[in-house]
Amino acid sequence: MTSANTANTDAAGPAATGDGSGPLLRVRDLTVTFAGRRPAPWRRPATTVAVNGVDLDIAPGETLGLVGESGSGKSTTARAVLRLLRPDRGTIEAAGFRVDGFGRRVPAGYRRAVQAVFQDPLGSLDPTKVIGDIVAEPLAVHVGLRGPERDGRVAELLEQVGLGAQHARRYPYELSGGQRQRVSIARALAPEPRLIILDEPVSALDVSVQSQVVNLLEDVRERTGVGYLFVAHDLAVVRHACDRIAVMYRGRVVEEGPADRICERPAHPYTEELLAAVPDPDPARQRLQRQRRRELAAATAAPAPNTAPAPAAGGCPFAPRCPHRMPVCTDTFPDRTSLPGGGRVACHLYDAPVTTPEEVR
Amino acid sequence: MSAAEASGARFTARLLRSKATLLWAAVVGLVLFCAVLAPVIAPYDPLDGDVREGLLGPSGDHWLGTDKLGRDVFSRIVYGAQVALLSGAEAVGIAAAIGIPLGLLSGYAGGWTDRILMRIVEGVMSVPFLVLAIALISVLGPGLWKSMAVVGVVFAMTLMRLTRGETLAAREELYVDGARVVGAGAPRILFRHILPNITPPLIVQVTLMIAGAIIAEATLSFLGLGAQAGHASWGSMLADAQESIRQSFFLALPPGIAILVTVLAFNQVGDGVRDLFAREAKAGTLGVNPVHRGKGAEAEADPPAGTAVPDPLLSVRDLTVSFPQPGGGRVTVVQGVSLDVGKGEILGLVGESGSGKSVTAMSLLGLVPDPGRVAASTVRLDGRELTGLPFDELRKVRGRELGVVFQEPIASLNPAYTVGDQVAEVLREHDGLSRAQARERVVELFEQVHIPNPADRLGDYPHQFSGGMAQRVMIAMALACRPRLLVADEPTTALDVTVQGQVLDLLLELREQTGMSILLITHDLGVVADVADRVAVMYAGQLVECGPTEEVFRKPSHPYTEGLLTSLPRNVRRTGRLPSIPGVVPAPDAWPEGCHFADRCPHARPRCSGGPIELAAAPGGRATRCVRAEELTLTGVGGTGAVQIAKKP
Repeated sequence: MTSANTANTDAAGPAATGDGSGPLLRVRDLTVTFAGRRPAPWRRPATTVAVNGVDLDIAPGETLGLVGESGSGKSTTARAVLRLLRPDRGTIEAAGFRVDGFGRRVPAGYRRAVQAVFQDPLGSLDPTKVIGDIVAEPLAVHVGLRGPERDGRVAELLEQVGLGAQHARRYPYELSGGQRQRVSIARALAPEPRLIILDEPVSALDVSVQSQVVNLLEDVRERTGVGYLFVAHDLAVVRHACDRIAVMYRGRVVEEGPADRICERPAHPYTEELLAAVPDPDPARQRLQRQRRRELAAATAAPAPNTAPAPAAGGCPFAPRCPHRMPVCTDTFPDRTSLPGGGRVACHLYDAPVTTPEEVR
Repeated sequence: MSAAEASGARFTARLLRSKATLLWAAVVGLVLFCAVLAPVIAPYDPLDGDVREGLLGPSGDHWLGTDKLGRDVFSRIVYGAQVALLSGAEAVGIAAAIGIPLGLLSGYAGGWTDRILMRIVEGVMSVPFLVLAIALISVLGPGLWKSMAVVGVVFAMTLMRLTRGETLAAREELYVDGARVVGAGAPRILFRHILPNITPPLIVQVTLMIAGAIIAEATLSFLGLGAQAGHASWGSMLADAQESIRQSFFLALPPGIAILVTVLAFNQVGDGVRDLFAREAKAGTLGVNPVHRGKGAEAEADPPAGTAVPDPLLSVRDLTVSFPQPGGGRVTVVQGVSLDVGKGEILGLVGESGSGKSVTAMSLLGLVPDPGRVAASTVRLDGRELTGLPFDELRKVRGRELGVVFQEPIASLNPAYTVGDQVAEVLREHDGLSRAQARERVVELFEQVHIPNPADRLGDYPHQFSGGMAQRVMIAMALACRPRLLVADEPTTALDVTVQGQVLDLLLELREQTGMSILLITHDLGVVADVADRVAVMYAGQLVECGPTEEVFRKPSHPYTEGLLTSLPRNVRRTGRLPSIPGVVPAPDAWPEGCHFADRCPHARPRCSGGPIELAAAPGGRATRCVRAEELTLTGVGGTGAVQIAKKP
């Protein structure tokens, strides 16, 4: 487990009182470590840094995509914002609350303001409850709605996500994947939140249903003004669903910026590799993609020893795989540099030209 | 019918099918009946007798005779059922009242609470149960209700441990996180979410515990610590019988049999209930399920161009897979699929979940779960007919000429053996290689699939491999016997996108080297565009379109293919809303007679639902299952311009 966070306990409770004046989400220097195995009973357990100095911002009503491969720390970041785990370091301000300052009890107001939709639509719904009770749970907890009032509100919520009132009496396993995800969204909308954390909301869905759900999320945002943190591994989906994208690699945000800029003019070598790997159904385009991927792979022909641990302190985690690796990369994590098209990148290629790029092979 | 009724009905149906459980439940019912109606059933007072009529044998007056004090044995047995069940209920009730809440607390809170509670449990459980009960009763004094309370407390420890274990597992479930995010507090999560989900194992345990409590009551009463003179208990009856065993051995039989049958019945009911819950999880058994020779005439017309290729390696005609339905009857999940895989060709079999694409592939391998029935008019691999082959023959073909790669590489490998041993086993089984030869060949195979330092990695276990590397091991295993056809079921779905590219590259390279054919099952159209020569699109159990990948993707001829292609989020600048196909894939028992896609199709006409639609030839060397194929002009992908990714500075 994470070690307890002791800093900033004084700042608990609403930090920005003016509703909607501040940012919806502001994360600074978020760091989460997990304890691993103890090499021996008397030794300290080895720690893995899952999230390392992450900064994120979401304005009210905005959608930020958080992209990365498995192990990049994107879901851990989301769980820290949801206060399902405690960070080791850093500050999280969400919907006017100082999340890192919470004690054991999370204020009910925060639980109303920030909701979540998880990847596995079946696993995230209690199998012993009917849909109506699942959607009504936040209403029961926060509003105390009962009887016909409750049923009316549930019907309203189900209708908002494109389900009928008849679905309220069904069990989760009786619905299709897409319908289950709509139920999750309806539940998340019930307490009228300001921020919804979407953790791989469409990855488990069929292609034809994915776009239905992305469109639904967009409709909901237009109608309610809610903001999203959209965590996913599929850049193509994220590009369509988000205003801005942050790319994570091994616990670090390596690039961040407007969605179209990132997908058309990626600055970080990792973003570039990720984009080259997104397969496209147009065979001609895919041939170009494949060629591009091969070029990149050839440029990295001599990767550093496979599965080498990312340099724990300092150092760019992508350095062992990077075609533009320089000596400085293994020692110091680069500062963030602003980019012309918007956003910032953390890569020594964009440092002020003090050192000349010296490519390793 | 509402959901709850449907689920309840299924449960009842299964219960009615397990006749043994029903029989034992009837026995429990009988005991319960005796206990409740004891005053009506029993012909005599169980506690009062005439000493002069002691030790009589069975007769019309006294069905089971009388004991030393002249009390009617039958009446005492009937009243004994009352004592047995009441004391069982008391002990189990106390156990549940203490064990379940504390177990929930211990499992959910963790930390010091958990440690302290578990140490207490271990302490109590390390002392033999009877010794502990006797020690406590000697402090509290004997008596039926007191002694059963002690039994209850001891039983609570078992229940607490079980509840804690189940809670620990349930606590990690995603729906618990969901409830926390919604703002539910600990009591709500514990009693509304976790408890209902861990109820099945608790019910089983409680049922079995009643049996244990009845034995405990009999034992303690036999020892004189439980039921006293005021109660007729089976245990104390045994003790009485023991005293007069020399005069009448018969006296020991009725209480002994009563205890035996009652305890056996409770245990059987407990086991039966456990099976009922377990069956909820798994339906059939995997394994022996060869392809049956289908009805169709041998000399039927060739399928339309597009599904067939000249001189195919694999040729499938009219493949049908059906499963029995819970309510009786069968439901067909794959309907008359015909396709060919050419020599050295990669055929992409695409569809959404529920389309039947995986079942199609698995049926060729004889891997459809047992109640399923697979039939085809012909399945020919390299000229050899596979339909009607006995399982042993099919197994040989499966290892030697067909290789398989599954979706979850790490789950498909046995965690208890090193990867080297697992690949070597295939070689030794099929090629009869010696240990050393097999090892050499495994190193060769690992080199072929580009696993770095192959000789060193042979001794590693699956968990020491990343997903991509584990998939390479699976591919090496599939290649071990130099198969002619590789069936790859979603081989890259569980992998990261950058690793996916590498694995697809590997498949292309291996095809180049060995000339094998690949049947690639996937839902990802990008993967198909990347590597497949031809594509077969399935929807709701039918092949809807088949042809060369480039043709099909550029100009689809079936509206479903169009829908799939246009709704796929791609890395292009977005214009307006994402196109999507309305509705959901219908369940197999709801497939219409006519076009399966008609009710989601934007181009549907009344005639689409008229009757079954045949797969017909379409321009560009393909086949399509759409009556309007010729009049429609559908949108594919392509012509969206070159990839716009700027070069690095």
